[in-house]
Amino acid sequence: MASDSLDLLQGTLDVLVLRALVWGEMHGYAVSRWIRQRTDGVIEIEDAPLYKSLHRLERAACIEASWGLSENNRRARFYKLTSAGRRTLRDEERAWRRYAEAVFKVLEPA
Amino acid sequence: MNRRFFRLPWRTRHQIGADVDEELRFHLDMRAAELRSLGMPPDAARVEAMRQFGDFEDARRYLNAVDRSTEAAHQRAELMTDLRQDFVYALRKLAAAPAFTVTVVLTLALGIGANTAIFSVVHAVLLQPLPFVQPDRVMRFRFVYNGAADAGAAPELNDFRSRSHTIERFAMYGGKSMNLVRGGADPELLTGVSVSANWFRILGVSAARGRTFADGEDLEGAPHVAILSDAVWRRDFNADPAIVGRAIRLNGNDVTVIGVMPRDRAYPLAAEIWVPLVFTASEMANSRGSRYLNMIGRLAPGVTVTQAERELSQIGASLAAEYPKYYRSFAIQPLPLQTAIVGDIEQPLLVIMGAVAFVLLIACANVANLLLVRASARESEMAVRAALGAGRSRLVRQLVTETMLLSLFGALAGLLLARSGMSALLRLAPGSLPRVTSARLDPMTLGLTMTLAVVTGLAFGLIPATQLGKDVASALRAGSRGIRSRHVTARTRGGIVVAEVALAVTLLVGAGLLLRSFERLLSIDPGFRVDSVLTFRVSLPARSYDSDTAQRTFVDALTPRLEALPGVRQAAVVSVLPLDGSDLTLSFAIRGRPPVPPQEEPASEVLSATPEFFGAMGIPLVRGHLYARDARAGTPKEIVVSREFVRRFFPNEEPLGRYVDLGWYVDGDRRGGTIVGVVGDVKQIALDQDTPPMLYIPYAQAPQPNLRVVLRTNVAPGSLTKPAQVALREIDRELPVFAIRTLGEYVTKSVGPQRFYATLVTVFAAVALALAAIGLYGVIAYAVSQRAHEMGVRLALGATGRRLAAMVVGEGLTLTIGGVLIGIVVSASVSHVMGSLLFGVRALDPITISAVATLLLLVAAVASYVPARRAARVDPLVAMRGD
Repeated sequence: MASDSLDLLQGTLDVLVLRALVWGEMHGYAVSRWIRQRTDGVIEIEDAPLYKSLHRLERAACIEASWGLSENNRRARFYKLTSAGRRTLRDEERAWRRYAEAVFKVLEPA
Repeated sequence: MNRRFFRLPWRTRHQIGADVDEELRFHLDMRAAELRSLGMPPDAARVEAMRQFGDFEDARRYLNAVDRSTEAAHQRAELMTDLRQDFVYALRKLAAAPAFTVTVVLTLALGIGANTAIFSVVHAVLLQPLPFVQPDRVMRFRFVYNGAADAGAAPELNDFRSRSHTIERFAMYGGKSMNLVRGGADPELLTGVSVSANWFRILGVSAARGRTFADGEDLEGAPHVAILSDAVWRRDFNADPAIVGRAIRLNGNDVTVIGVMPRDRAYPLAAEIWVPLVFTASEMANSRGSRYLNMIGRLAPGVTVTQAERELSQIGASLAAEYPKYYRSFAIQPLPLQTAIVGDIEQPLLVIMGAVAFVLLIACANVANLLLVRASARESEMAVRAALGAGRSRLVRQLVTETMLLSLFGALAGLLLARSGMSALLRLAPGSLPRVTSARLDPMTLGLTMTLAVVTGLAFGLIPATQLGKDVASALRAGSRGIRSRHVTARTRGGIVVAEVALAVTLLVGAGLLLRSFERLLSIDPGFRVDSVLTFRVSLPARSYDSDTAQRTFVDALTPRLEALPGVRQAAVVSVLPLDGSDLTLSFAIRGRPPVPPQEEPASEVLSATPEFFGAMGIPLVRGHLYARDARAGTPKEIVVSREFVRRFFPNEEPLGRYVDLGWYVDGDRRGGTIVGVVGDVKQIALDQDTPPMLYIPYAQAPQPNLRVVLRTNVAPGSLTKPAQVALREIDRELPVFAIRTLGEYVTKSVGPQRFYATLVTVFAAVALALAAIGLYGVIAYAVSQRAHEMGVRLALGATGRRLAAMVVGEGLTLTIGGVLIGIVVSASVSHVMGSLLFGVRALDPITISAVATLLLLVAAVASYVPARRAARVDPLVAMRGD
C-alpha cells in the first residue's frame, strides 16, 4: 500500500463507487480509473476492496449488474445505479458534507 | 428489475464462480494494457496490475460468497412475485368463470360441511370415551329372568356383592322424581336418581364442590343427604358458593346438600339430583320379586368382560337354584357402560355416516368432473402459454394455485356450513341421542375432509399439466375448439358421471326406504284420538298424600274442577300415558283356572284410570260396559281389558264376568277385579311395536301418586294450560305441574328418532341428486360445446334440430341408465344394514327403487335437455367455421 495515500474509512468507498456510477453504466475497471482520476491519486484505492464494494452494493440492491461489451469488445460486467442506490448516494453525500464541514470548522482558524 | 421481463436462468454455484473469474480477468487485462501503454514491459505490467489489485484470492472468495447470497435473494424475490402473480391470475381466472367457481366451491362446501358436522356428532356420541376413570372397566348389567330382560331387585345387590370376585364393586340405582320446594318459587320436579353410596367411587368421579356419598350413607337411619347437578345448582340456587351444608326441602323432607357434581361428568346424564338408595330391612328380605333397579359395577383389576360374564351367569344359576319360586333361570350380563348408553343409536348413526360419506364421494367426483371439463376447455390456453415460454413447472404452479384457491374457498364455506349444520343437528336431534350436547366441531374431521377435497382437486386440477408438452402444436391448431381426439378424458368423465349417479341412486333408495317407513309409522292407528287432548303430569308427594284415601280425595276434587273449565269436554286421570316411555307390567291369575307356577303367570300392562279416561282418549268400548264412576275402596271390584288381552288370554272363552287377580298387593289386599268391559287396543309402548295386552283398573280402587291428567277439549288444547294450572293450585299450592303436552306431541316425540334419521338421510339424498344432476349437466354441456362443429355438419347435411337434441338427451340417458343399474345393485347389497331402521318396508322395496329410478331419469333428461337445446339451435355456418 502506498505510504502517502490515505486509508479509507469503512463505507467511504461505497459512496465513491455510487458517485462514479451517477453518469451511467460502468464496468469495474472504469470505476477504478474514474476514482483515481477524480482523487488525483491522493487516495490510492486497491482494486480488491473496490470489487468487494461493487458486489456488496449489488447485494444491497443499490446497483444492478449485467453483462455487456466493453470499448475493446470484450465481455464485461457493467454496473448501474438503481433508484435505491440513488437515494443512498444522496443521503450519504449529505452526511459526508456535514461531517466534512464540522471537521473544517474545527481545523480552520476562527 | 430486468429479470421481470426477460427471465435469465438462475446461476449455479459453478457459474457464479466463472462469472467472478471472468470479471476479475477483464479488470487485470485492462490494467495491464494501460500500464503497457505507459511503456511497461508486458510481464512487469501483469505483476504491477496484480500488485495494485491487492489480495486477489481473498477478494475472489468474498465476491463468490456475496454473489451467491445475491442470487438467492433474487430467487426468493422472484418466487414471491410469481406467487402473487399466480394468485392474482388464479383469482381472475376463477372470477371469469363464476358458474364453475361457485359450483365447485358449493360442492366442496357441502361435502366438507356435512361430513364435518355429522362426524363431529358421531364422535361426541359414539367415539368419545365417557368422562370416567377407565370408563371401559365400568359395566352396566342386564338382568335376564327366565330368558327375558328386566330390571333387578334390591336383595340381588347383596347376592352379587357377596358372591362375585370378578366385579370389584356393585351399585344399584333407580329413577326417582323429586319435588323441590323453595321459598318464593314454584315447586319444581327434578329428575332424581337414588344410588348406592359407592356410586361415584365406581365411576371414579369426585364432586366439583363438597363431596360424594360416604360409606354408610345408604343405610337405614342415616341422615338425609343429596348431591346436586351443576345445572340445578346454577339454575335453582344461583350457583350459591355456600350451598354445601345447606338444607333444602325435598319431597317434604329437610335434606342436606353435601356436594355439587361437575358438568358433563355425571351419570346418569339426565340426572339433576342424586340421593342415597336406602333399602329397609324388610325390603332386603322380601322384595326379591320387585324388579325396578339398575346395577353398575367396576371390573376387578385384570378381569376381562368374558370372565366376568361367565362368573355372573354361574352366580345367577346358583341363585335360581336357591330361589326356584322367583327364578326359572337367572343371569346378569355385563355390558360396557358406553355400549349400554350408545346401544340403539350406533346403527342409525353409522347409516347416516355412510350417507354422508356417499355425499362426500359424490362431491369429490363432481369436483373432479368439473375440473376435467375445465381442463379440456383450457388445453389451448395452456398450449399458448407453453408456446410463449411459460415453463412446465410454472404452469403446474399456476394450476396448483387455482386448485388450492378453490379448495380454500370450499373449505371456508364448508366450515360455515359445518357450524350451522351442527346447530341445526343439535336442534333436530331427538332427546334420545345421548351426549349430543357435548358435540363440538371436530378439528380432526375438518382436517381430514379438507385434505380429501384438496387431494381430489390436485389430482384432477393437474390433468391439463400432464397433457402439456405432448403436442403443443396440435393443441394450438385446434384453437379454441380444443382437441377432439381425447377419448380417454371423455370416457373418464362418463365414468365419473355413472359413478355419481350410482351413488346418488343408493342414497335415494336409502332415503326412500326411511321415508316410506316413516310414513308407514305415522299411518299406524295408535288406538286413540290424537287431536284436541291436553295432558300434564302431577306428582303427589308422599308426605302430604301418604294414603290411598288422600290421593283419591285429591283426584275426586280435581276432576270436577277441570271439567268445569270452559272448553273442557272431559277430564280424566291415569297412571301412565301411551307412548310416554314408561309402563307397568304385572303378572296376574285368572280365577277358575288351575294355578300355574309364579314364573309362568301371564302378564299385562296395568293402568289405573278414572272411567272418563276412555272417553277423553277416544278409546272405543267394544263390549260390555265401563266400570262405575262411583267405584270406591269398598265397592265391587270391576276392571276393563283390551281386545288384545282377550285375544291372548281368552282365545275361545267369554271374558266378561271372569275375575282377574293381579300380582299387586296393598296392605294385605290383592288388587284385581271382574272383567266388565272390553275396549279397543292402544299402541301403548311404541307405534312400531306389537300392541300389548292392557288391563284398566279404576283409579279409585288403585290410586297412584304419579298422575297424568288428560283433558279432551273443544278448543285449542294449548289454551287450557293456564286455567288448568290455576284450578290445580286452588287445591294444593305446593304441587308442581309439569310435562304439559298435547297428545299429538307424545306421538310426534315417540317417532322423533325416526323423523330425525329420515330427515337427515333425505337431505343428503337431495344433495346427492343435485350434485349428480350438476355432474351430468356439466358433462353433456361440455360434450355439446366440443361437438359444435360436428353438430353443424349434421345440420348442414339435413339433420333436424329435434333429432340432434334427441341424440344428446339420449347420450345423457345412456350414462344415467348405467348409473341407475349399478346403483340398484349397490343398494341391494348395502341396504340390509338399514334393516332395523325400516318399518313395514323391505330393504329391496320395488316401489322405492322404481320411484328413484324414474326420478333420476327425469332429472337426467332435464339436465341433458338444456344443453341439447343449445345443440339444436346451432347455426351450421358458425359451427363449421369454428372460431
